[in-house]
Amino acid sequence: MRFVLFVFLGWSASLLAAPKVSEKHAVEMAKGLALFKSDVRVLLKQHCVKCHGGDKIRGDLDLSTRAGLLKGGEEGPSIILGKAEDSFLMTVLRHEEEPFMPAKADKLSSDALKKIADWINLGAPYDQPLVEQSIAGKGMQVTDDDRNFWAYAPLQAVKAPVVQQKNWPANDIDRFVLRKLESVKLQPNGPADPRMQIRRLYFDLIGLPPSPTEVAAFVDDPSEQAYAKVVDHLLASKHYGERWGRHWLDVARFAESHGFEQDYNRNFAFHYRDFVIQALNADMPYDQFVKWQIAGDEFAPDNPLAMKATGFLGAGVFPTQLTEKEFESARYDELDDMANTTGTAMLGLTIGCARCHDHKFDPIPVRDYYRFINTFATTIRSEIDLPVNGDLTEATAKWEKAHAPLTAAFAKFEKDELPRRFALWAKNPPKSALQKQDWMILDHLQPKSLDGATFSKQADGSFLVGGKNPSNDRWVLTAELQTMGLNAIRIEALTDKSMPRNGPGRAGNGNFALSDIRVFAANKKGGQRVPVKLVNPKATHQQNTAGLSVASSIDGDKRKSGWAVDFGGIGKEQAAVFEFAAPVGFEGGTILTVEMDFYVNTSHTIGRPRLAVTAAPRPVAIKGDSSAASVATLLAALKQAGSVEKLDAKQRAALLKIYRAQDAEWTKLNNHVQQHLTRKPVPKMEKVQVTSEGFKPTKHHADGRGFPHFYKQTYFLKRGDANQKDGEATQGFLQVLMRGGKNEQSWQVAPPEGWRTSYRRRSLANWLTDTEHGAGHLLARVMANRLWQHHLGRGIVNTPNDFGLQGELPTHPQLLDWLALELIENGWRLKPLHKQIVMSATYRQSAAHDAAKLKADPQNKLHWRRTPARLEAEVIRDSILKVSGRLDERMFGAGTLDERMLRRSIYFMIKRSKLIPSMQLFDSPEPLVSQGSRPVTIIAPQALHFMNNGQVRASAMELARQLKAQPDTAAAVTLGYQTVLGRDPTPKEQKSIASFIDVQEKSYTNNGRELALADFVQVLFGLNEFIVQ
Amino acid sequence: MNTLNHLNRRQMLQRAGMGIGSLGLASLLQQEGLAAQNPLAAKNPHFKTKAKSVIWLFINGGPSHVDTWDYKPELAKRDGQALEGFDRFTGFFANAVGGLMKSPFEFKPHGQSGKHVSSIFPNLSKHVDKMAFIHSGHTESNNHSPALFAMNCGLPRMGYPCVGSWVTYGLGSESDSLPAFVVMSDPKGRGLPKGHAANWGAGFLPSVYQGTHFRPTGDPIDNLKRPTGMNAEQQRRQLDLLKTLNQQHFEVNPFEESLAARIESFELAYRMQSAAPEALAVDKEPEHIRAMYGLDDDKCKHVAAQCLTARRMVERGVRFIQIYSGGMENQRSWDGHNDIAGNHSQFAGETDKPIAALLQDLSQRGLLDETLVVWGGEFGRLPVAQKSKKPGRDHNPHALTYWMAGGGVKGGVSYGETDEIGHKAAVDKCHVNDLHATILHLLGMDHEKLTYRHNGRDFRLTDVGGEVVKEIIA
Repeated sequence: MRFVLFVFLGWSASLLAAPKVSEKHAVEMAKGLALFKSDVRVLLKQHCVKCHGGDKIRGDLDLSTRAGLLKGGEEGPSIILGKAEDSFLMTVLRHEEEPFMPAKADKLSSDALKKIADWINLGAPYDQPLVEQSIAGKGMQVTDDDRNFWAYAPLQAVKAPVVQQKNWPANDIDRFVLRKLESVKLQPNGPADPRMQIRRLYFDLIGLPPSPTEVAAFVDDPSEQAYAKVVDHLLASKHYGERWGRHWLDVARFAESHGFEQDYNRNFAFHYRDFVIQALNADMPYDQFVKWQIAGDEFAPDNPLAMKATGFLGAGVFPTQLTEKEFESARYDELDDMANTTGTAMLGLTIGCARCHDHKFDPIPVRDYYRFINTFATTIRSEIDLPVNGDLTEATAKWEKAHAPLTAAFAKFEKDELPRRFALWAKNPPKSALQKQDWMILDHLQPKSLDGATFSKQADGSFLVGGKNPSNDRWVLTAELQTMGLNAIRIEALTDKSMPRNGPGRAGNGNFALSDIRVFAANKKGGQRVPVKLVNPKATHQQNTAGLSVASSIDGDKRKSGWAVDFGGIGKEQAAVFEFAAPVGFEGGTILTVEMDFYVNTSHTIGRPRLAVTAAPRPVAIKGDSSAASVATLLAALKQAGSVEKLDAKQRAALLKIYRAQDAEWTKLNNHVQQHLTRKPVPKMEKVQVTSEGFKPTKHHADGRGFPHFYKQTYFLKRGDANQKDGEATQGFLQVLMRGGKNEQSWQVAPPEGWRTSYRRRSLANWLTDTEHGAGHLLARVMANRLWQHHLGRGIVNTPNDFGLQGELPTHPQLLDWLALELIENGWRLKPLHKQIVMSATYRQSAAHDAAKLKADPQNKLHWRRTPARLEAEVIRDSILKVSGRLDERMFGAGTLDERMLRRSIYFMIKRSKLIPSMQLFDSPEPLVSQGSRPVTIIAPQALHFMNNGQVRASAMELARQLKAQPDTAAAVTLGYQTVLGRDPTPKEQKSIASFIDVQEKSYTNNGRELALADFVQVLFGLNEFIVQ
Repeated sequence: MNTLNHLNRRQMLQRAGMGIGSLGLASLLQQEGLAAQNPLAAKNPHFKTKAKSVIWLFINGGPSHVDTWDYKPELAKRDGQALEGFDRFTGFFANAVGGLMKSPFEFKPHGQSGKHVSSIFPNLSKHVDKMAFIHSGHTESNNHSPALFAMNCGLPRMGYPCVGSWVTYGLGSESDSLPAFVVMSDPKGRGLPKGHAANWGAGFLPSVYQGTHFRPTGDPIDNLKRPTGMNAEQQRRQLDLLKTLNQQHFEVNPFEESLAARIESFELAYRMQSAAPEALAVDKEPEHIRAMYGLDDDKCKHVAAQCLTARRMVERGVRFIQIYSGGMENQRSWDGHNDIAGNHSQFAGETDKPIAALLQDLSQRGLLDETLVVWGGEFGRLPVAQKSKKPGRDHNPHALTYWMAGGGVKGGVSYGETDEIGHKAAVDKCHVNDLHATILHLLGMDHEKLTYRHNGRDFRLTDVGGEVVKEIIA
């Protein structure tokens, strides 16, 4: 039987149901096949199939396949199996009957005729068709029979069955489970003890252990309500998304590098991981979760979270180096990755198996495969700028609502109150208006660069330097002043985004170096300018205390030394003050000239200078109130004019500005407006890796060779070979998951006019989530099964990524349908389903063992107990960090490869060539293809990890330091047990450990107590009780 | 099943001084029905053969077959002539294609088989009668990393288990204190082969089957050293306490089936701490052995240490060892795009003496029969020159040479041929899948039966191909 299957496999599905045949038949068929391969094939090919097979089928007789041969043509059956003599084919070949064959050619040799006759007598087997079938046309047909396979059939609404043991079930889930157990006369376990229950919940729902207080509280009140409260608390925890997101990332084969040759990083891929965590925490409906991962850019292009979700399709591997010969096949590999991952992750279907031939087991013809991958034909990875702080529409509206009254009050004051107050003040402006200021900003400076830099005046009295950035420069700045008794000058170097690293200098690293500064004063009324001696220099920051100090700007060296601000001062505003050795200022006005040299280093000028002088007494502080020096000039003008009205409009406006800054009410209202303005929601832009269409493709090594990144057309490929194209494939979905006579057009939507993408992925997502006629029911089944799998340790379908014929059958098909329908009816929200599962008696069972039950159901498929399971790699590591108090609970953002990171393990960067060793050690999968479940191994290197790993030891040391504060060993041991294992030690344990600590402590020369306690804690980490739940 | 009794039996055995190792952990676990939890337990092959372990000398970067083992006198005759109809996209640099180029090295016959060997292998040429050559190899890609993946994992794509992982999955481990599958890479800072660890990855097989990369510098593997300040006695007491506590827990919770295996894993780990450094201690070898491998020769001492380590590992039950000659690409490996003469002289010089010594040493210890030694890279090189100041050769996926020795292969035989200039495999073509099928066969495994169910499909190393090259099997 096996042999017969081999002969027909793959190309003639209709013959699979061949009648049972004798052993002798198999032997004959083997002989016949050998004969076919050695001779008959060539004869048929040479003489027959030109007219009877492939494109031409004369007389409706197709000899290219065995089915065609047996079916015969217009003249009836061409052969009678085992009876060559009576076969029509032989009579025409022997020219005993018309039409003589081969047509218009000589009769075949008698040797050839004998071979064909023998072959017919041996059963006429073929090893493969004589003519290649075209992919688009023939091949596997999908029928309603196929659609009725349990996994593809619609969900069945089933009522929970009636059970005998009424007091065991906590909810309907338990009735399904119990019914099965009762049918084989198995008794389920009762609930685990409260400590076990709460630890199980914590590890399962958030991946971290409960604190001793949390355990104690529940053990004190293990009521149903208390349990439900813990469940709600955990499902609402931010850690829930971190725990369950990791399960999904396995399925999504998520990683942050390309793989292959250089394994370049995908530095902006982590946003997808953040999307998964956020979506789960927000309990995003699962159908939306799916839609966004496939086509978030088409469903909600303005929502950054939806854009991040598209990272799913682009998370697979891709070569970083390609030759011309590989361009197209690499692209088909990439389409395969997208289709395959979508299939296994969402539908538990191994679509990729139909790449080279019709699926061997599932009803997926090879043409469905190529039509399916066409969905992604123009989809590529890109890195785009996105506002990462979410959709701001709502926040902006809220802000605007709050802002309006502030601006209204301010406007009202300016209109109704301010003019009156100003007029009053201007009648007799107090002298203090000027004098209370410490620093007068020289906003009316005339700056000049000797080497071609330009200055543009800013509102704050500073000057933004632009134009040429000369290698050396000298500035000459002059200003006229009315004030006398000036004691110091201040040079501020302000920042600006036009400079490298925001400045404050124009050098490539944002630095500057002021090699020399000189000040001169001249009487406005006439006379020589005289140098002003500068003393007591000080600065907000200086690069060093020698040649780059502020003092070196007034030392004897005018070229090689001078004030600079690197090593801590870049990107920040800086200032230097130089006091005048004697007060400066002439009656009737002073012309001040400042010369600044920049020679120390190439192109190292200040980028945005602001100069100020002060009449404040020495020693002069760098900071202080400031006002524009032009104030004094204005007040002088007012005095001269006699009243505000007589000033010109420009002067009046300038004076009003000066006044209002001193009006307490105006200042208060203005501050309200200004402060609120700073809280206006602004988009924070960040690079995000998306998988979309029409954006610039992520840079590739082979771009220089002309790598096109994608091909608009998708072709049917023979044997998956890009060199054997067989017609163009347009988009379609899997026929087996289209019901009610629908075809792909029922879900296909066209993009709006001029839109960037093709909407093919959106169409796919419509079909995926359609519970009426599309794939929605399977989608729900597969996800409900994943939840069950992670909660109970084993899926109802134990092959979570394969619901096809090769997958395992569900242990509880009705329960699975019930769960899937619950999921859909809950609006696809996962949290209610989680809750139903963890509230069940099935979930809360003890792990108690029973020899008879074990014999009846050794794998615990029916859930008569809780099967203890080792925690996953991430949970082990996170829990060790948590109990030692070292866990850093910050969420999201770029990950790291550094194993010393203290955040949760989901924030490790996943670089395909540098997977984190401590994760791999405990079976975290290689992120190459979708992984539905992880193996669990127990190997010696895991033990080495507990014994010797630096991070494990560091956590043990940390907890040991806390234990050391306990009054005695017994108390320290108790606290250690409570913290790590959530229970008190038994007296026996206390005894063993006390003597251990005693011996260890004495064996260390230094710090023995702490080291001994750390040794003890490390032992706790290595206990099965800690890592098996 | 009463696991507690078994646990007591284990303690009893230990008290009796027999130790678990002497009985074989695997068999004991199997008796306890725990074999599923020790995925490295030694397993029986499909059929009995000689080879127990493999040392694969991966000649990284693509060694030129026509300058090493595939003697092509015709190339000398047509030196400088253009190759009519040559597809310039065959190699990596389509714009540097030159004329046919003779080998810069002299070929002479060696051994009883009279095999012609290039002059760059003065030592290896003495062992041709131990070698079975496959000259008709061909592969799927003209690009390093897909070709490396094809040679290591059977397909020119990422994500499939490599040969070493399949072998370890199929046969388990013979060592209870060393990894089953060890990889040694270039210790001269020239990088890892392209595609990095994916070349020894387990793909979709459980990660326990992946190759353990012994780092060329520093600690060879993670977590081998005790925490600073802790001595062996202190750690021993820690493990004793751990065992005591685990057992006390077990008495109350006798349903934790994994406990026995967990306890044992700590004992194994404790042993590994000394076993791994011991296996690497090539300085413990006698002087004449060290000299034979070339440990005193600056040119080749790094490969000498790796080859000698490989032999020590084979003796200690390591199943599969892969040594990469050369680092990443171009002048850092056998990737002789420029100056094929200089490049191949250098890398042959680094490997000739150590590999020859390895063959001799295995042979004199009677280990060669059960150790399959494999030599070859990811593709061959073209018979035409790659134009350059000093000419080189570009990648050639259509022809490559492998040789194997020991482990049940015939010595002094050559299988398959390339065309007369060594451009393409021509006679008895041998695809990468065929090579893999042959290696598995030599280890007693039927490549069609060594399968792993993953996402709905039974995968094999040889995908849908593979025919055993019976002609080279003794």
